Amino acid sequence: MLAGFLIAIPLLAAILIGIAPSRMARWLGLLGGLATLGWGIVFASMYPFWSEIPQEGANLAGYWPVNDSWAIIPLVGLELQLGVNSVSLLLVLLTCLFAPLVVLASFTAITERVKEFYIWLMIMNASVIGVFIARDIITFYTAFEVSLIPAFFLVAIYGGPDRREASFKFFIYTLVGSIVMLAGFVYLVMSFADSVGGWLPSTNGGVNVWDIDALTTYAREFLTPGEQAWVLLALMLGFAVKVPLWPLHTWLPLAHNQAPTAGSVNFAAVILKLGAYGVFRFVIPMVPEAVVEFAPYIAGLAIIGIIYTSLVCWAQTDMKKLIAYSSIAHMGFCMIGLFALNPIGAQGGILYMITHGLSSGALFLCIGMMYERHHVKEIERIGGLMKSMPVWSFFVVLFTFVSVGLPGLAGFVSEFLCLLGTFVGSTESNGGYPGVLGPWFGIIAGVGLSLGAIYMLYLVGKVVFGEEKIPEHDHSHDTHPLPRDLNFREIITLVPIAIICFFIGLYPTPILEAIEPAAEHMLSAYPEIVEAASKTASAEAMPTTPEAFRMTLTD
Amino acid sequence: MLGLPATNLLALKAAAGDEIPGAVTAIPEAARDENLAWAGLILLLPALSAILCGLYAALKVKNRLPGWTTVIALAGSFVVVCFLYAQHEPGQPTVIHLFDWINFFWGDGAFQSVRANFALYVDDLSIFWMLFVTGLGTCIAFYATEYMDEDRGKGYSRFFGAMSIFLLAMCSLVLGDNLVMLYLGWEGVGLASYLLISYYYTRQSAIDAGKKAFIMNRIGDLGLAIGIWLIWYNFGTLEYDALFQALNAYLPVADAGKLPGTEIGQPQLGWSAYLIPWFLMVGAFGKSAQFPLMTWLPDAMEGPTPVSALIHAATMVTAGIYLIARTYPIFWLEMEAGGYALATVGWVGGFTALLAATIALKQYDMKRVLAYSTLSQLGYMFMGLGVVQTFGACFHVYTHAFFKALLFLCSGAIMHGLAGQLDVRKIAGLRLAKGWKIVTWCMFIGGLWLAAFPFTAGFFSKDEILAQAFVQKGPGFRALGWIGIITAGLTAYYTFRVWFRVFGGRTLHIEPGPEHHGDPSSFHPHPPGWRIKAVLIVLTIGCFAAISTGYWGIGHWIKGMVTHSSAAWGLPLHWHEGDIPFFGGDPHFTMYFVSGTFGLIGLAIAAYFHLFNRKAAERLDERFKQHFITNLLPRTLEKKWYLDEIYNALVRIPTYLSAKFLYLFDRIVIDGILVGGIARIPVLVARIFQPLQSGALQGYATTMAGGVALIAVWMIWVFLQKGGG
Repeated sequence: MLAGFLIAIPLLAAILIGIAPSRMARWLGLLGGLATLGWGIVFASMYPFWSEIPQEGANLAGYWPVNDSWAIIPLVGLELQLGVNSVSLLLVLLTCLFAPLVVLASFTAITERVKEFYIWLMIMNASVIGVFIARDIITFYTAFEVSLIPAFFLVAIYGGPDRREASFKFFIYTLVGSIVMLAGFVYLVMSFADSVGGWLPSTNGGVNVWDIDALTTYAREFLTPGEQAWVLLALMLGFAVKVPLWPLHTWLPLAHNQAPTAGSVNFAAVILKLGAYGVFRFVIPMVPEAVVEFAPYIAGLAIIGIIYTSLVCWAQTDMKKLIAYSSIAHMGFCMIGLFALNPIGAQGGILYMITHGLSSGALFLCIGMMYERHHVKEIERIGGLMKSMPVWSFFVVLFTFVSVGLPGLAGFVSEFLCLLGTFVGSTESNGGYPGVLGPWFGIIAGVGLSLGAIYMLYLVGKVVFGEEKIPEHDHSHDTHPLPRDLNFREIITLVPIAIICFFIGLYPTPILEAIEPAAEHMLSAYPEIVEAASKTASAEAMPTTPEAFRMTLTD
Repeated sequence: MLGLPATNLLALKAAAGDEIPGAVTAIPEAARDENLAWAGLILLLPALSAILCGLYAALKVKNRLPGWTTVIALAGSFVVVCFLYAQHEPGQPTVIHLFDWINFFWGDGAFQSVRANFALYVDDLSIFWMLFVTGLGTCIAFYATEYMDEDRGKGYSRFFGAMSIFLLAMCSLVLGDNLVMLYLGWEGVGLASYLLISYYYTRQSAIDAGKKAFIMNRIGDLGLAIGIWLIWYNFGTLEYDALFQALNAYLPVADAGKLPGTEIGQPQLGWSAYLIPWFLMVGAFGKSAQFPLMTWLPDAMEGPTPVSALIHAATMVTAGIYLIARTYPIFWLEMEAGGYALATVGWVGGFTALLAATIALKQYDMKRVLAYSTLSQLGYMFMGLGVVQTFGACFHVYTHAFFKALLFLCSGAIMHGLAGQLDVRKIAGLRLAKGWKIVTWCMFIGGLWLAAFPFTAGFFSKDEILAQAFVQKGPGFRALGWIGIITAGLTAYYTFRVWFRVFGGRTLHIEPGPEHHGDPSSFHPHPPGWRIKAVLIVLTIGCFAAISTGYWGIGHWIKGMVTHSSAAWGLPLHWHEGDIPFFGGDPHFTMYFVSGTFGLIGLAIAAYFHLFNRKAAERLDERFKQHFITNLLPRTLEKKWYLDEIYNALVRIPTYLSAKFLYLFDRIVIDGILVGGIARIPVLVARIFQPLQSGALQGYATTMAGGVALIAVWMIWVFLQKGGG
């Protein structure tokens, strides 16, 4: 029941907002967000496996609570199972953190259809948290899909001029991806049920075929390499769209750009993480042999994405689009970290989900605040805001440097680990993990570091520094007149993110320690693969029997 | 290893205390001392000062509080460094662990942990560096309290906040016990430099210069990052101590019973380890502005002058030298294996020294001349590293820090007093103005030191490097030495060209700079106040104190420091003595006369053209300008060999065009043709079912809300069925 509240609280808030009069909507939204955050913190503080590796067998990968489950469709043994491990808990916390912040950021920005807006925000929170705390495949998939709907409406109703195109494109794009993914899931569950002798625990000896961890154990042991490859492709298609992996990224700049501030922030901070989380939860642990085979290609796409989108960022004229494209490059770093298949890269990749959420989310918040005042997003039309908005400028510069990975700030730790993990792609220098990527991947991806500085400083140089240039705008229609620089509400929206960025940048140890067992669990299948491969290699190299020796000669 | 006789013999010999030719002593293992945690104050004080300056900015403080806070914090840092030095035992590095940063492991074996903590690696090299960094930092911050006076209430807090960030980053760069902390400082000083160069943020040239500095450094940083990754790849560690202990196995260490240069007992590094120096070198060239990553430094003069003095002359730009000195054993091993990394460092340094000196000949902006002279002097330091004269390089770092800071601060005083005027053509006879005596003669001293006038500190430190170029055997090192000597002549010329132009002349003539508004004839230069003068005098004393050689005075002290650090570990003893004669004697002795002569010639030419017979200089200029061919060289020098234009055409424009192209590609090919094309298929199919879709958003919303409600009801029902929990 503990985990269930994480979903129930935002849903309850949504219902409350629905019944209450619309002038109270934003306060109720804030309350709902704060309640979500509060419960998230309480829940996280109860989590018992923060740093120690859980006992073998007792509790796989530290999932907790273990008994949060309700039978939904008893006929097929389907249970609703909720629970978290350290990684999903961190992502839940990230979602919870942004829950009140995006409400705060929308206080004056949203003036029409206010009620609906906050309802959609709350549903978004509930569904995204649902994805992270799901322990059975049906809950996961349902929450994964449901999260599309609020995102769709946030863009379609409250977005910019091209909102219709943006929202439909986003919806259909991701839906197509997830339908293929669903096919992969269906295949997995059916073959699992077949092999254990039925759907019901009563007939198959107490196995819950919907359980993701059971499914993982089954898949990695019993699927043939061919099956693994197909499952990998099916799942990756769904997740790659969400991540997004080049070349499946074109929905993102449009959707980010057209979404209202709260929508963009949620997209950057949490929606993109659904894809990376899927990779962490399903792809890498489930189908290891296929992953070893495909990782160089997936990482290759990620690296193309890093270089390509970093350059594209530089050609942008719209601030929000620039940050949106930079998200693609950043998530590319996250992907190569995960697909480096060693603990360094895994730690980096997982941490990257958090740090990217913070930096991009914060930058979107900042741009939203500026947009509310000057109603422009074009880089060329505005400049020198340092003079009139020094506080805002401080935050923009700070988050810019988080985003370019300045050491001492959050972005660096994860980026460095991702790249180091990618770079050390040989089995000897990997402590027994497969070395599928290697120095070349690391070096080429590293170019992204330099390019990142180019486009972000281009943005800062134009908008924050320079001669003051503020476009004429008629402010008489503004229903909520805002001061020239940030007001208190806006400052307290940004301050928590800034503090966390410093904290992770200077003292990531607790988080890295927490991630460590989960990362190791994700990769638990890989050292065996290396061993098996080296065994077969040595067996091939040194034929043991005379027959085998003759075979090698005739070959 | 396998008990081979030769190894045993060696071990016996070593045990008996016999000296094995070419063998070295092992790199000492660092002691770990938790009791020295107070050394963390060196970093903490500037950090506190940065935070306080941030607070002052938020509270809109209008007085000099930010300045004094910074000065006190930096002075505190300096004092702590002194205490650290007092308890330091020469040759014995100490690791002081402060707190964990990146620290995780997944096994007990090699390559199964990543450790990069906030810990200090205190050895002679880092203490030596810290002493002059914090010392000069304090002086220059003190100077800045007066220099930045007019900005009080505007950018004053921002300025001192960034200065504090700079010192914090510089300390972590130098003191960090691992390469990631070095990287932290490395990027941190880049950030501070960026913030301070773009300090006058409304000026487009300042923003561009800041951007250029950061991005160019980032390109160099990629080299450093790859070097760091390669170190992990080969040694499985990021910490200096563990790295050096790992390297011990590859060095011809006498007491480990290994025979130098043989297969037996001395393992060879993997080929990728030999790439490490090449990548580290790129990082060093970026930060220390060496060819080809040099063009950012002259532009960095857009920042306030104290910044130019501290960051872009005395301390930050020497970080590249520090990096190479710190990882010198790797460079050394590469050279022992027959590689050319060190030779390349030396040659790039020599080339930059000459190139920058030629550009400085034809610059008119005083600060730019000094900036190019910085490039040139940094080139000497790299030359010193390249010809295996790490002591000379570090000695030159030290003397250069003082005289270059002095020169910059003097030009800052001029700029401050003359409303921003820096053009040497528009100032003359400044020594005659009232209240300018101290600036005049301090700048003169600084000039002599820079020009390596005989028996100045710059003279001795430069000669250490130049002479070694003739001692050390390496590809074309003799030619490199001659390049250095010629550059010394050029240096003397351009330095005194500036001094004679600005201070010389029979009458006082000043055109006020751009910051003066009103009638130029009513302009009077306003002389510097006591704080600026005090700092100039302190630095001049520092310059005099630095007069020494490797055998006495400060130079001897530095030599002791450097030879007890990683800059000399792994090198055989008595390395620096050569038997190659230079003008019939030991190069370290005869060089004094050769380079001294060249310096004096340069000085004499400058005196003739710019003091005694300025008309002759003008006539010569005219003569050159008359013909296209003769004008080619002066023009090219004035345009800095067109390096900026070349980079723009070769790197920036192609990159930008490819960015634009990729954006079009993204929109037209990927989004338009691929995605759009695939999307068209279902649309065509869907035409058939079109009437079923109403298209109204409200419809979708209602359906959706109904669905969610149903699920919610179901969940509650299920929950009740189970009776809770």
